[in-house]
Amino acid sequence: MAFVDEIKEGEELLKVDNIYMNFGKVSALAGVSCSVKKGSIHSIIGPNGAGKTVMMNCINGLYHPQQGSIIYKGEKINHLKPHHRAKLGISRTFQKIELFSGMTVLDNIRLGRHIHLKSGILSAAVYLGKTAREEIEHRRFIEEEIIDLLEIEHIRDKTVGMLPYGLQKRVELGRALALDPELLILDEPLAGLNLEEVEDMARFIIDVNEEKRWGVTCVFVEHDMGVVMDLSDDVTVLNFGEMIASGTPEEVQTNPEVVKAYLGAEDMYASRR
Amino acid sequence: MAKGFLPCGTYHQDYAHDHAWWQTRFVKGKMIFLAIGLFLIIPHLDSYYVGIVNMIGYTILGALGVDLLIGFTGQITLGHAAFMAVGAYTSALMVLEFPWPKIFIHLGLAYPLSILCGAVLAGLWSVLFGLPSAKVKGFYLILTTMAAQFVTVDFIITQYVARIGGRGQAFSLPPGTIKIGPWIIDSPTKVYYLMIILVLLCIGMVANLLRSKPGRAWMAIRDNDIAAETLGINIIFYKLLSFFVAGFIAGIAGAFWISNLAAISPEHFPWSWSLWLVGVILIGGTGSIQGTIFGSMFMVLVMEALQIGILPLADIYPQLLEKFLFVKESTFGLAICAFLIFEPNGLSYRWWQIKNYFNLWPFSY
Repeated sequence: MAFVDEIKEGEELLKVDNIYMNFGKVSALAGVSCSVKKGSIHSIIGPNGAGKTVMMNCINGLYHPQQGSIIYKGEKINHLKPHHRAKLGISRTFQKIELFSGMTVLDNIRLGRHIHLKSGILSAAVYLGKTAREEIEHRRFIEEEIIDLLEIEHIRDKTVGMLPYGLQKRVELGRALALDPELLILDEPLAGLNLEEVEDMARFIIDVNEEKRWGVTCVFVEHDMGVVMDLSDDVTVLNFGEMIASGTPEEVQTNPEVVKAYLGAEDMYASRR
Repeated sequence: MAKGFLPCGTYHQDYAHDHAWWQTRFVKGKMIFLAIGLFLIIPHLDSYYVGIVNMIGYTILGALGVDLLIGFTGQITLGHAAFMAVGAYTSALMVLEFPWPKIFIHLGLAYPLSILCGAVLAGLWSVLFGLPSAKVKGFYLILTTMAAQFVTVDFIITQYVARIGGRGQAFSLPPGTIKIGPWIIDSPTKVYYLMIILVLLCIGMVANLLRSKPGRAWMAIRDNDIAAETLGINIIFYKLLSFFVAGFIAGIAGAFWISNLAAISPEHFPWSWSLWLVGVILIGGTGSIQGTIFGSMFMVLVMEALQIGILPLADIYPQLLEKFLFVKESTFGLAICAFLIFEPNGLSYRWWQIKNYFNLWPFSY
């Protein structure tokens, strides 16, 4: 396939072009389009049931839209399965935590390295030489780049199912980052966190977006308007499966239709500012 | 399972040390004692007891594959005896019917090669019946794996394979046919040596797989298959790989077991044997290699103890001896119920707790 190898800062990385997704007679997405620029944080907002998560699932490949196309690096990826899309550098976190609850934190993050591990099954069965070296190499990456960044050193050997909610969210971000993604889909990463944890999480998102080492483009679904307006470069607003506005945070905030559908009058959205 | 604590005063200096199997001198010492026990003490026991140990080894080999599927990949299987039968019959047919060149027989290569062929064939056969796992989960998968049992053992093997060469039901294995290199496997002690090598190889293989890429992918599929797929795991491939490895080990188990038998027949691989293996891993603890070992030891030893305990009573209650099979099976059921209620994590979890306690002892706070 002819994927464009080098996409420069500010050029289009992902384009969602006029997608339709129906479940029976319920239309979850009707003609939604958006364009995500490389290096940006692109927020998708809207009231509950607006189709935000459906859109994320379409980008990620869990759902296949009935019409329209999803273009990643200049190539249509509609037909690809989620695991193929992961190899292209699309990673995600989930709204409801979807960690591997029986495994340790370290193993969860190691699993994120899956697509980067090269050794085959025979080599793994013997676990000498190549596989052992590779495991140590990736362990170094995980410890130095991810565990250090997310400040989860103290829980690395704990079973994930036993951890408090805030830490689980953080481990999920770590697992998504272990893929070394180019496009990171964050589906409500702040839901259910307290103020301190929200601030930490926002800091991590800014870090992975802005640091040279990562430079990850983020698609960000969130209800916390304070954080959304502060972090994002572009905002797309959905309502009942239709796109009602798109633009910079300032444009969206003043758009009368958005205010009517979602933000409400006055500045209720600024509660956390 | 979460990692245990390190003993006081032990720290890892590098990642290789943290990835090692045996991390402290104490553990290495324990392993030396285990090796002495396995290779120097057990073979010199009375051949009756060696026979019991062989039975334990056979159960471990069978339960290892079941644990891989149920405990690590989350694909519930109730047809594992079929894959053992495939391994056993492939191996027996190759040894008896295959026109080996004289040199192969002379060097005793026929049986080892047939073990390998039986294992690969059983693995492929297992993949065939694992194919529905691409679409179905849970109860429905149980049914498709049960189909493996009925199609393979009750139909193909009983009706066709067992009749090859004009034999009625059982394949008799004449003395001297099972030969590895210069050794003819004819006594429980020799079977024991073969068993211990195969068991150690299989456990080593599975343990290594579980701490590298395929094993993590299996556990991810067990815990959350949707998240696993979004992280780049080809779910269908890894499910089938798990079926292949489980079938491969079952094939080894079946092919090994013919060395202990004078004849094999389809009755050696009944459906209840598949169920028995599931019981073994439930008692030992699903998702743990030690669990298969403890579970196998528990089941085989309890059954032996039952025999020893019941025989003297037979003079007073002759019914007990007559209905011994029922006593055995009700004990099996009772043991599973008791474990599910009182220790759902199995014997291996208890073992883990004890080890952890002594790792911190005497400062366990």
